[in-house]
Amino acid sequence: MMADEASRRIFPTEPASHLRPRSRSVKSLVSTPESSFWRTFRSSTLHPSYLHLPITSLSFSPNSSLLAAASSTSVRVFSSLSLSEYDPDFDPTLFATLPLPDLAYSPSFRCDGALIAAGCENGAVRVFDLPDDKPPKALRRLNAHSCASRVVSFPLLDHKLRLFSAGDDALFVQWDLPTETPLFSVPGAHRDYIRAGAPSPVSPDVFVTGSYDHTVKIWDARVDSSASSVLSINHGHPVESVLFLPSGGLLATAGGNTVKIWDVIAGGKPVYSVETHNKTVTALTLAKVRDDTRLLSVSIDGYLKSFDFSRFKITHSMRYPAPLLSVAFSPTGTIRVVGTNNGVMYMGIKKKKDEFEDQVGSNDFAWSVPLPEKPTSRKNIRYFKRGQSEKPSEGDFIMKRPEKVKLKEHDRLLRKFMHKDALVSVLKTKQTTSIMAVLEELVARRKLIKCISNLDNDELGLLLSFISKKATQPWCARFLMDLAKWVLEIRAEDIRSGGPEMAVHVRNLCSMVAHEIQVQRSLQEIQGMISPLLVIAGK
Amino acid sequence: MIVGGQSLVTSSPVFSHDGKKLLLCTGSTVSVFSTTTGMLITELEGHTERVTSIVVVPVAGTVGTKFSNYCWTASLDGMIFYWDFSTPDLLKKVNVQLPVRSMVIPNILSASLGRSDKASQNLYAFISVEDANKEVENVKHVRGSIQIYDLTNSTHVGGVLAETQKPETLAISKSGEFVGIKKQQQLNIWRVPNKNLKSVNMKKLKLHHTRTLSCLAFHPTKCIVAAGDVSGRILIWRGFGKMRYSQDGGGKMKIDMGDRPGVRGEDDADSCSTWHWHSSEIKFLMFSSDEAHLFSGAKEGVIVVWQLDTGNKTYKPNIGSPLMYFTDSPDPSLSCVSCEDNQIHLLRMPSMDIIKSISGIKPPLILSELQGDRSHVMIGCDRSNGFVALPTKDYRIQFFSLLDGTDISHLQVIERNYDPVDETTVFISLVEVSDDGSMMCTVEEKLPEMGIGGLISLKFWTRGSHTGQYTLSTIIYEPHNNAGVSDVAFCPGRSMAVSTSYCGNFKVWVNNSSFIHSGDEIQEKGGWRCQSVGSYREIPMTAAAFSGDGSVLAVAAETKITLWDPLNNVLVAIIGDSLGPIRRLAFVGSSEYIMSFSAGTKTDLVVWNISNLSTHWSYKLLVEDICCTRSETRVAVLALRSSSDKSISTGKDGMVLVFDVENPIPVSTWFVKKAKGGRLSFINNKLGEATDGKLLLAYINGEHNYVLFDPSDVKEREDLIPKSARRPQSYAHDENVSHGYASIYGELPSFDLTKARSSDNIPFVPSERPWETIFSGSSHALPPLSKLCSPFLEALLKKAEKQTVLSQ
Repeated sequence: MMADEASRRIFPTEPASHLRPRSRSVKSLVSTPESSFWRTFRSSTLHPSYLHLPITSLSFSPNSSLLAAASSTSVRVFSSLSLSEYDPDFDPTLFATLPLPDLAYSPSFRCDGALIAAGCENGAVRVFDLPDDKPPKALRRLNAHSCASRVVSFPLLDHKLRLFSAGDDALFVQWDLPTETPLFSVPGAHRDYIRAGAPSPVSPDVFVTGSYDHTVKIWDARVDSSASSVLSINHGHPVESVLFLPSGGLLATAGGNTVKIWDVIAGGKPVYSVETHNKTVTALTLAKVRDDTRLLSVSIDGYLKSFDFSRFKITHSMRYPAPLLSVAFSPTGTIRVVGTNNGVMYMGIKKKKDEFEDQVGSNDFAWSVPLPEKPTSRKNIRYFKRGQSEKPSEGDFIMKRPEKVKLKEHDRLLRKFMHKDALVSVLKTKQTTSIMAVLEELVARRKLIKCISNLDNDELGLLLSFISKKATQPWCARFLMDLAKWVLEIRAEDIRSGGPEMAVHVRNLCSMVAHEIQVQRSLQEIQGMISPLLVIAGK
Repeated sequence: MIVGGQSLVTSSPVFSHDGKKLLLCTGSTVSVFSTTTGMLITELEGHTERVTSIVVVPVAGTVGTKFSNYCWTASLDGMIFYWDFSTPDLLKKVNVQLPVRSMVIPNILSASLGRSDKASQNLYAFISVEDANKEVENVKHVRGSIQIYDLTNSTHVGGVLAETQKPETLAISKSGEFVGIKKQQQLNIWRVPNKNLKSVNMKKLKLHHTRTLSCLAFHPTKCIVAAGDVSGRILIWRGFGKMRYSQDGGGKMKIDMGDRPGVRGEDDADSCSTWHWHSSEIKFLMFSSDEAHLFSGAKEGVIVVWQLDTGNKTYKPNIGSPLMYFTDSPDPSLSCVSCEDNQIHLLRMPSMDIIKSISGIKPPLILSELQGDRSHVMIGCDRSNGFVALPTKDYRIQFFSLLDGTDISHLQVIERNYDPVDETTVFISLVEVSDDGSMMCTVEEKLPEMGIGGLISLKFWTRGSHTGQYTLSTIIYEPHNNAGVSDVAFCPGRSMAVSTSYCGNFKVWVNNSSFIHSGDEIQEKGGWRCQSVGSYREIPMTAAAFSGDGSVLAVAAETKITLWDPLNNVLVAIIGDSLGPIRRLAFVGSSEYIMSFSAGTKTDLVVWNISNLSTHWSYKLLVEDICCTRSETRVAVLALRSSSDKSISTGKDGMVLVFDVENPIPVSTWFVKKAKGGRLSFINNKLGEATDGKLLLAYINGEHNYVLFDPSDVKEREDLIPKSARRPQSYAHDENVSHGYASIYGELPSFDLTKARSSDNIPFVPSERPWETIFSGSSHALPPLSKLCSPFLEALLKKAEKQTVLSQ
């Protein structure tokens, strides 16, 4: 019935919670699998131009070999393979610079990575060719926007001749690239600037735009252009970024401080709202974390947050020293780039150790047959350690070894009834809560007075210095004030004859008392000031 | 009527010959427990006073299982009974006429073996008796004496072997060769002759020590005796009695004084060695069955295993309570240790792991030096489920079911290591369980040392899925600053509680917690918060109670009762003075009356009328506890009788009075023993269908013995606590329903067994019980087939006759 008697728990002398100072201290850094994943990135910085101009947009080519960053009047294209050997002294990583007539916006790679398109402040959309060995060449120039064409995007699916664009003139266009003519054009698609847009991952004809008029609209190029949008969603804030989640059924929108997830198939039903940023969320992207996908969001408040949209939970957050405007994550899952408003790009490149397995992971299948494990020989240390790291499978019955009780030094001494030694050892640790806990335990054992009278002069000095430091702390004041009185009473002789060290301790005590009296007096003054106010307020 | 709560550890437990059963003295009965399950099998009832010792008849070689389940018991009522404890049947009664404190039967093995020649082999018992007649003489009188009694012929043998100041416990060696007692600073040892046992030819041997001895033990085979004294020393005398018991019959041989280390004076022993580890009085000593070790135990709760040859010791710590007795079983891998907290642990032997525990109700927590008027800690009662919550010494709460008489669970309240040696400085001073048992509140106090470091904290607990399983909800440190909490009451039907304090205020606590399902476990968020604080002229608040519907809160401010609206914290009315500070308040059902009693120099019991704010009736009584039902107007009062009362010499120092609140004349009255520190409570009767819906009154006395009875039943007006007629199962069955054998074959005509069994050489005496109950009980407790067969067949014959008569 009561076989648990055999395994009586041992309670260490822990400070009761009334002893712990109330603090809103940060939770201890818990290492989750997610945080350890993010820790495998080696961070570095990159200055694409030495002007402090904001990096408005970042984009990786689908095969991850190139990274395009829009900043001031050019789109800079970096070779991501050489990024990993980036040397901050000179800039060999720069693959090409695409000149644009005015401020550049929203570079976008075609699905095969051969072409890149970018918008411009004056409304023109330029398309460039990116051959490996030659400098880039401007191929097409699409003119329809009268204001800045902020959103330019190729379809995600294999449809090489189409391009979407939208701009501050609230015009939304689907282009036929070879002829430079709009196929599908919606003037006045929104009632304010269109600042966000994204192609659907499941259909080449579906596109979503987000505007400063708080709405997000989904367009289908197959539907008659005069018709309104397929779906309109009100985000509630000016929309800064939109993104289809990989299934194509969920849509993520960012605007204001919130990121919202919508169910498109269910007709724009809100699914979840992430409200963890303190300032406007500026960009969203998808990231591959091991086998999962996360939604990364960056904000003006300098935080990058990783959101697990399958569990609706923020799994990681990183802080950068500047407001963030753009973010990109390479499709292979090895490079993470964020762009700030002062022209600095912060990069995280996955450390080499994991590179091999990540490349394997980036393909859908690892075609190579895994090598058979070498049988460990008896000479190897691994032979003796084999099986030790074996994890129990689900159906296994786990027999736990009785946990070894780890006792601190003072607990060990208390269990041996060496009370004075326990007190001295805990006084030496200088941990206030532990000292208080041991003092309280000694009171419960009726041994405190005896301990105090048995302390020698050095140990008495330790106790007095502890008292003079902590006696005015509100949560241990009642105890320590009484204790101080007793110590002085019991050891008066020793303190008097204790020489200069004791004199120092006593002087500290005196100044502590004087200071406390001062504090109390000023508190009384404040109380005197407040109480008439309260009386008046009460009437 | 259900009686329970007896101490399991009044005397040493005894194993049956096969180690499968454990016999315990529980008050006036002997309880037989199974060692494999730790559950009660049966009880032997018959004694009218406390049973003090049990002697199990050992199995006699090839004779077989016939003798397997017999035992002798001795009791303070002066009777020695012979039982078959498998049935259970009372087989023989022997009247000694003096209260027997201890009994051993040295020649039990040989006597039961050679039953056939009765002339030479009588069964002799050594008994330690208390002579009550000598009590009056003077202080230094001799009250105890050791005598020999012939159990076969029911006669005293010879005179008195020894006289002691108080009755001593007898010890016997395993072979039955030596019997000994401790007598202050000396040991008296007798050697039992194989035949011709008379007190005149018993040779006494004395061994001396300088301190008062507390226990002794004989080595199973060698001439070694161990004794423990009050200072914790263990003395081992080796080779005692070589000269005294030598062939020539005690002729004084020359004693070589030089060659006997440690032996005092002219003591007859080869050597005497002393071991010292324990710091307090040795409670038990026991030689192991392999003859190489000695077990000792004392207050520390540590069994010390001494290696006999070297004196090296190993320890079994963590038993967690002062030890009382240690018993080994015939099965070498099993033994048991009795603890002072009314628990018996069965130990697996070489490793000394606890395999099972048999636990009874915890003894009361008595705080000796502190808190003058509150010497007893308040215990909580769950009215709907019929269990009590008792604070224990090791900072736990035991939940004990009064209806089943079993221990339900334990709850660690204070997270502190319990050391039995420490004096109590941290303790649970108050336990209050809400009416439905869903909430519990505990108050724990830590006493300051020289004014430093006292702490009082209030803990609220929420019930889990099982009865008696509680989880901590909220801790409130120093609920009323530095002052003590005098009372806590829960509001019926609401998550609200009130605590009153001696510093002159009361606080109303409310629970606004929400439960969050996170994964599998349910987390509680929020908790108990103080809703309001009230005080009345800074007078210490001593008691609180909520009315049945929870709309009125009554708080006693010493002699006055203040009535509050608990939701708005508004003082509604004040009812005038009682004689002394009020100890407890109770609303009487849904009526307009409130009841209070006060303690101190002037004591009274008052029933107040709330509607006209006046006294309804009152008594000048010293009241210990009151209790009211929630629906009816009955109230029960436990009152202490003043010491001048003449009938108090019978030990009944209290009385339970049941009133109808309209009428100051009590409806019924019972006199009870040990009422100081007692507690009354009405609990719902959940047993059986017959008494459904009726409330039982539970009375728990100062020693945590309890009785449950129906206060409206007039027939049960008898003396309460020392009740012999307890049947653990009887209350579950209706008396008229036949069961077991009788339900199949009908009632049996009674017939005389003695005639049929006269040829049998086993001394069977017919049972006094109607024997159809032999089939009731668990299967392993059934009597042997050989015993069942003949009466069974005989019964069938009679039945057939009856039927033929009827058919004719």
